[in-house]
Amino acid sequence: MSVDVYWRIAMEGDAPALRLGDITRGGFGPYRPGSLGPGLRGGEPDGYGPLDYMAEVARATERAGFVGGLMPSFPETDDPWAAAAALAAETRAYRFMVAFQPGFLHPVQAARMSASLQAASGGRLVYNIISGGGGPQQLWWGDKVDHDDRYARTSEFLDVLKGAWNGPFDHEGRFYRVEGAGLPADLRDQPFPEVFFSGSSPAAIAAAGRHADYYLSWLEPFEALAEKFDLVRRHSDTPPKFAVRVDVLARETEEEAWEEIREGWARVGERDRTPESSGSVGWQRGRAFTAGAGDAFADLEVQPNVWGGFNRLRPGPLFGLVGDYHQVAERLNELIALGVDAFILAGVPHLEEARRVGRHVLPLLKGNTS
Amino acid sequence: MTRFHVVVPTRPPRRAELPEFLTDVRPGGREPEHRPAARGAELGGLDGVFVPFDPGGHDPLILAPELLRASRYLQVTAEFHPAIATPVYAAKVSASLQRYAAGRLAWQMTVDLPAAVARAHGDFLEGDARYARADQFLTIARGVWNDSPFSYEEEYFQVLDGGLPGSRVPRPFPRVYLSGTSPRALELSARHADVHVLEAGEDPALVPEGVEAAVRLPFGLGAPGAEGRLVEEIARRRDQGVAEFVLVPSAPVADVYAFAQRVLPLVGKESESVG
Repeated sequence: MSVDVYWRIAMEGDAPALRLGDITRGGFGPYRPGSLGPGLRGGEPDGYGPLDYMAEVARATERAGFVGGLMPSFPETDDPWAAAAALAAETRAYRFMVAFQPGFLHPVQAARMSASLQAASGGRLVYNIISGGGGPQQLWWGDKVDHDDRYARTSEFLDVLKGAWNGPFDHEGRFYRVEGAGLPADLRDQPFPEVFFSGSSPAAIAAAGRHADYYLSWLEPFEALAEKFDLVRRHSDTPPKFAVRVDVLARETEEEAWEEIREGWARVGERDRTPESSGSVGWQRGRAFTAGAGDAFADLEVQPNVWGGFNRLRPGPLFGLVGDYHQVAERLNELIALGVDAFILAGVPHLEEARRVGRHVLPLLKGNTS
Repeated sequence: MTRFHVVVPTRPPRRAELPEFLTDVRPGGREPEHRPAARGAELGGLDGVFVPFDPGGHDPLILAPELLRASRYLQVTAEFHPAIATPVYAAKVSASLQRYAAGRLAWQMTVDLPAAVARAHGDFLEGDARYARADQFLTIARGVWNDSPFSYEEEYFQVLDGGLPGSRVPRPFPRVYLSGTSPRALELSARHADVHVLEAGEDPALVPEGVEAAVRLPFGLGAPGAEGRLVEEIARRRDQGVAEFVLVPSAPVADVYAFAQRVLPLVGKESESVG
């Protein structure tokens, strides 16, 4: 069975290195020395923008051996629909994994946009459906539906989206009502996008059983991850495939890799090493795995090469892999053996690290031999 | 300065049937001709393109980003109705497009859809309530765009401590195009529109003060003498105070080039002799 390896694309700007952290690429924040996309040329903005850098990442990604990229969506990021539609014509094979929360778009509109993007890209749209999170962030988006209710809404959203996709479709539910919903005639034969479904709460796992092609989790210590997959299997009539989002910091030697972490750790002050909490259940789970760790970065290596401090060095999940090319590949092979069918890998800077991981790590992966 | 936009197609054209003995390497998949039409507008020096909301066509929120990426100068105006998304999300998507395309995105909001079309898109709101919702939509969108933190709680939409992140690339709020001649429509325009778009038969005197007048003008340049008549029509509308033209070509690509090469130089000359 084949494994799909995606590479994240930065939608919030990108830094020149994990150890440095400054967001210089992609047009958020002020100009700094070395800023690009846009940069300064002779003191004036050079006319390039965030999408020019993202296009480079997407092209590097597809050439490096990845099937496509996860385009995340948070308040501080750019929007994945905008980026995917703009970049469709500049890539050939790259699959656009568009992250979105049901509820922000009407499901019929989501169906129209999806089918239009399928037509424009030759069927390269993939969904990353997010329902959870919450707290102040949810109100920032203008969404007042409660955490657990959002999974009910996600289920109904996907029912209406699929209904419209195969329309004509009538529906009267708790969140949505449509009459005669359907797609334009020439969009009716587009393939329905694969669904990557995220969420660590019980409500998420129940909903994943109904709708997910892939159940997507952040990386966790492997034993916990295996238990989570089992839980999802038990809640599904037809178990989904499994995907993991993994940061990788792979270098020629293990020492080089840890040196990058050490320098990053020295960069962030004590305050930043204790990041603010989040309403996300996945995030809280991650915190629990590293509770009680001391102040040294080495304390966060919870099992060989599995390091739980990435969130201190850049926004996002806690866990990732740190090691030499063979070690990182070996850990990924172990995850494949645990039942992982797809990866979303990431590294900073996303451009150069896509090229590095494609050249040095992907060739060392082995299929599931069990 | 008078500005000229053309409406681009959103449905694929009928494909020519090639005789079987000809080697056919045309790419599979059928796309609307929005790209060649927009390239014509870009190369020909027009000011913009309109991507209409067409229930039977591809979606403007996918087509518009493609056209922004494929052009340097065009204003790309995407048409949508306020039930497609929350205003915060519409603002979020649009802010990215402004960052990507040097602020060339514009919005044409349609408030008054035919009832069956609205219901097929999940919208059961009727009458004046649709204008109240559009007003709230535009208020929130502009609010989160310009202010942080921004809070607003109304019947159809709400946001608490919102506000888009800052950007080192300029991201102006999209130019807003509205239309309609009912008192509610004109009131909405007075509050929110940069430009009010009239149909050919509607009176430019209706357009609220402080809002530019635009007119939708179907045209075709296939027939002899057509360009003379179009030039006259444009001049007449300019005299009535119309500042922007939303041109609806009969032939989506050919008429764009014909307009750029044969009409634009004439109306350009006229404006020079007038001004």
